[in-house]
Amino acid sequence: MSVPLLRLHGVRKVYGPRLLFAIGNLAIEAGGAYVLTGPNGSGKTTLMRMLAGLDGDADGSLEFRGIPASFGAFPDRLRRAIVYVHQHPYLFHTSLRHNIEYGLRRRRVPAEERARRVAEALVWAGLSERRTTPPAKLSGGEKQRAALARARALEPELMLLDEPTSNLDSEGRAQTLALLEQLRSERRTVIVACHDQEIIDLPGFARLRLNEGRITLQSG
Amino acid sequence: MDLLEPTRQAFALLLSGDRALWQSIWLSLWVSVAAIALVAAPSIALGFLLAKKRFPGQRAAVVLVQALLSFPTVVIGLVIYLLLSRRGPFGSFELLFTPWAIMLGYMMIAFPILVVFTISAVQGADPRVYETARCLGAGRIAASLTTLWEVRFGILAAVVNGFGRAVSEVGCAIMVGGNIAGLTRNIPTAIALETTKGDFAQGIALGFVLMLVALGVNVLLALLQGEGGLK
Repeated sequence: MSVPLLRLHGVRKVYGPRLLFAIGNLAIEAGGAYVLTGPNGSGKTTLMRMLAGLDGDADGSLEFRGIPASFGAFPDRLRRAIVYVHQHPYLFHTSLRHNIEYGLRRRRVPAEERARRVAEALVWAGLSERRTTPPAKLSGGEKQRAALARARALEPELMLLDEPTSNLDSEGRAQTLALLEQLRSERRTVIVACHDQEIIDLPGFARLRLNEGRITLQSG
Repeated sequence: MDLLEPTRQAFALLLSGDRALWQSIWLSLWVSVAAIALVAAPSIALGFLLAKKRFPGQRAAVVLVQALLSFPTVVIGLVIYLLLSRRGPFGSFELLFTPWAIMLGYMMIAFPILVVFTISAVQGADPRVYETARCLGAGRIAASLTTLWEVRFGILAAVVNGFGRAVSEVGCAIMVGGNIAGLTRNIPTAIALETTKGDFAQGIALGFVLMLVALGVNVLLALLQGEGGLK
């Protein structure tokens, strides 16, 4: 049996006296695409942030490729394997090209390779014409696509996308949905937290449902 | 009092390249710039830590730095005087009544301004900046520097305010510099001296230069901020 990309075991997250969720066992397979659904307040964003290493206040164990790690104290290798995209992504106050380049620079990717990946990411997101545009001048849909392109350019082992279509107009949603389908078809491991029925219904996405403190998995 | 004649004389002095006058101007500028250059990095780093880190006594430290903002500059001058005077702990360095002593005073005066402005800028930063940087693979220091870069207009305002306070300071500069012509006489101390002597032309000329410096620095800040600074 192959080792899953990510395994959670006995994870409990509490807020004061309230148990937000308890996950007995959950395995995320490499190359799988997942949607994480659940009512407001069920803990979707909290779980995503825990998986990104941004929230460490939880009990239980996490293994990445069979190697144990602590929530909130990810080693560099794990932090660079997982990329989380906020519900309202933040783009740095510089050009789009430099935004996409940011993580590549941190990884010391050589300049030539960096330029290739930035150009490829801009084409992928349909933003080549906007490469020098500052984020303030991008539409909501363009910002979301830019954030997806920035994350994908890093070729992470796991992408965590929090409500990527919220607050987008119909055109922006359609373009973002198309990119999510592409990520799945490229066999990227991706977890998308959402309420959007169109994402939930995308073919090939397994469904994780977080409700009343429990998580269930339904294959896509 | 007739202001026209001293004003005419002031501009004549400036344009004639009066040696003593331009020495004061040059001293003011280089000492202020050097003081800010030396104190900016540690002050900004401290401001960032006080804004972002939670530790016992953090709030007390912030209150202390804020209190330093309203500390009388003559008291800062007195402390430096005592430290640098011949019988003081650093008397052997013979820094008292030199530009270095004034620079030290300016650093102490600018320090709380830089720290408090930085705290304010960093606390006003979007919390997603640091998280995004971390999620994209930045280490803690790189993510902190990215946060500072994102609030760079606030940091620039801190530097400009620190410089403005230093270049126009008089009490501390007189105490630790001694207002020695050609050595430690700078714009504000020269204005104070010449006005008491009744030489209004010198005072007006130097005051005009001081206002030009203040205006120039703020125009530079606005230009650097560009459209981003107006958001």
